[in-house]
Amino acid sequence: MKKVIAREKLPELWKSLAAKGPLFLPIQEGPVVLFQPWQEGAEINLDAVNTAVSPKDVFLPREETYMQYRCSGKQLELIPAENIEPVTAFGVHPCDLKAVEMLDKVYIDQDPPDALYKKRRENTTVVGLSCSEPDPFCFCNEFGVDPADAPGADVMAHLKNGSVLLEARTDKGKALLEQAGDLLQDGSKETAEVKDVKTADFGLNLEGLPENLKERFEDPVWDELYKSCLGCGVCTYVCPTCYCFDVEDFGHEGEGQRFRCWDSCMYGHFTAMAGGHNPRAGRKERVRQRFMHKLQYYPEIFNEIACVGCGRCLRSCPVNLDIVQAIKALGGETVEQR
Amino acid sequence: MSSANVLMPQQATILDITEETPDIKTLRVVGKEGMPFDFMPGQCAMLSLPPVGEAIFSITSSPTCRECLEFSIKDVGNVSGALHGLVPGQQIGIRGPYGNGFPVEKMKGKDLLFIGGGIGLAPLRSLIGYCFAHREDYGQIDIVYGARSPADLIRKSEVKESWAEEPDTNVHLTVDAEFPDWDGNVGFVPTYVSELGFSPENKIAVTCGPPIMIKFVLQALDKLKFSPEQVITTLEMRMKCGVGKCGRCNLGPVYVCKDGPVFSLDQLNALPAEY
Repeated sequence: MKKVIAREKLPELWKSLAAKGPLFLPIQEGPVVLFQPWQEGAEINLDAVNTAVSPKDVFLPREETYMQYRCSGKQLELIPAENIEPVTAFGVHPCDLKAVEMLDKVYIDQDPPDALYKKRRENTTVVGLSCSEPDPFCFCNEFGVDPADAPGADVMAHLKNGSVLLEARTDKGKALLEQAGDLLQDGSKETAEVKDVKTADFGLNLEGLPENLKERFEDPVWDELYKSCLGCGVCTYVCPTCYCFDVEDFGHEGEGQRFRCWDSCMYGHFTAMAGGHNPRAGRKERVRQRFMHKLQYYPEIFNEIACVGCGRCLRSCPVNLDIVQAIKALGGETVEQR
Repeated sequence: MSSANVLMPQQATILDITEETPDIKTLRVVGKEGMPFDFMPGQCAMLSLPPVGEAIFSITSSPTCRECLEFSIKDVGNVSGALHGLVPGQQIGIRGPYGNGFPVEKMKGKDLLFIGGGIGLAPLRSLIGYCFAHREDYGQIDIVYGARSPADLIRKSEVKESWAEEPDTNVHLTVDAEFPDWDGNVGFVPTYVSELGFSPENKIAVTCGPPIMIKFVLQALDKLKFSPEQVITTLEMRMKCGVGKCGRCNLGPVYVCKDGPVFSLDQLNALPAEY
């Protein structure tokens, strides 16, 4: 099913979608674009190459309460408190959707499934958005991502001159287009103009890299690579394939809640044990963990490198200790480029 | 595939609390309807006490005990400290079991050597109890257990009286220094293991204790010609989920919460030594 909508009609479409449940899309917030819930008057920016933070929080919220508790004397009552409603994520770029599929492997495919994530995933209709003009940091081609297409989307959207082509790929996607009714026109004869989009060529050679890194946990490269790291954790915060979380309680006077929230392997407390022992006590160990997880550990379990070339760590890291620098330092560079 | 939230604890109640040493207590815990869940020796559970939080502990009782779960807990942090302050009848949260457990099938027909130090006896005790309950499946059993002082040995009467009375079983106790009224061995656990000179013939050694003790026990066993496949240990890491997703307890691609905590030495030797 293909439909088309004039760009000036989009706000009406968003308003109608938002009336049915939360609608997340790229919203201009001052100098950055963030994937946020739609509100009346929000400045939607579909032309931005990518949001500053990945849309992973649609499926794995920054913080999520899943239990309430009440206690009095020796009594303790534990009450499930999930709040998961159907949502629409509009404008997810192919790299970010590919990353969600990587999270699926951990949170759904790997037993036991994470019920909260799985329910959010099932309850979300994803409108993918092709990229026509990647910025100099985008390098998703390196990971086999086609900026013109997001295979996992329920609806694939393509920006055209003055209009947007919406192509339903799943039943959920068809339902979304049908609900929009008269706001959409027939687009069966329309074609996406976006194709053969090339992203940055950093001269990476990923062939055999995960296998090669298996024996390089003690490699001297780690003694140098970490040194510029500030330990700020922004790489993990913006990264679409980072998924670690913390679980904490908050409460007072006999009642409160248990929530989980994003956490980062870049922080010292992440692995610090009661009693003081810390297996990843320094920045070297933590930097090694992050890059080894992306390039060796995750691939060993799931057969693909946990990077989609979204470019966020390149844009955000204050000291340019991004994944491209790491891959190059670890020898994942084509010989000609060296 | 279950749709239940695996992070959601169930309600449990503390039956009673035994003070083992100045900083270790054993809690007996029961679920709403008896045993909270079935488990195998070496597996762990998350205990929670909101708003202090949740932490992972090894189950020290044997699965053959069907009345309750037991946890021997050293007061080292927020949750363990709060648990130490509880009284019988207090309700807490529990979820589990987590981890692989000891390879009780692979150990069948073998002589067993258990080497524990301090609170490290907790996970071993579950396995030792299981082996005694299935006594015919296992050969000669030797238990080496040590602590800093006699006052720091846990489950003293059980170790000295019940275990020592079991058929084909020897208990070897040691403490780090001379103490009045102590008639057992004096010396560190690894040294004592070397002195006792166990033969690796048809034997599996299982060790748990402080990292420094484990390090030297492994050296002692190596000198006694135990092969890495014959040596088993169990690891401890900070954990939040227990199911391989929160990302903090990995050794390379292996998650201690679900792929461990029990590893043979040959498995550990193939992993980054980040524990």
